[in-house]
Amino acid sequence: MPEACACLGCNVGSTVPDFTLETFEPAKGDFGEISLATLRKNKKWTILFFYPADFTFV
Amino acid sequence: MGAEIITVSRDTKFVHLAWQRDEKQLANVKYPMGSDVTGKLAKMFGVYDEATGLSLRGTFIISPEGKLLNAEVNFFNMGRNVDELMRKFKANLHLAKQTAEGCPAKWKEEGDLTLKPSAKMVGRVHEALKEMGG
Repeated sequence: MPEACACLGCNVGSTVPDFTLETFEPAKGDFGEISLATLRKNKKWTILFFYPADFTFV
Repeated sequence: MGAEIITVSRDTKFVHLAWQRDEKQLANVKYPMGSDVTGKLAKMFGVYDEATGLSLRGTFIISPEGKLLNAEVNFFNMGRNVDELMRKFKANLHLAKQTAEGCPAKWKEEGDLTLKPSAKMVGRVHEALKEMGG
């Protein structure tokens, strides 16, 4: 299998499919859940910030 | 700043909690830490690294309408410039209001020179930038 390349991901200019993530929310000190559908409903800009792993530098 | 920032890695929410609690560098972190255990979201955005199973350092700005407007991906060994991220975000806010304008490379913040593409400007971008003091 060839390695996936970035060009296989969402294209800039296209609509991002809905997604849901389980979260830890430091502001509340509690677990939660966040979905793009909710963010869109609340008219929020969203910035996704991927990084390799916890306990490394970001 | 008017955007929901979500950090995403393949760690569980439990590990996120432990890291945020223990690492003093993260003491002031307020944004939600997303758990992409399956790597599904990383794959959707093309940042899943097959060799390691980890996600690359990808940053994506999505508009309130759900449109992907910016994408930046760095390999594991290079950190990101937050100033550049903020520049892009502010430019998006400006362009969402001023839909006929464009933010050139040197645009940094509200009030800086923007361009309005027109027939007059074709082949004359250099003059247009100069005229406007850019």
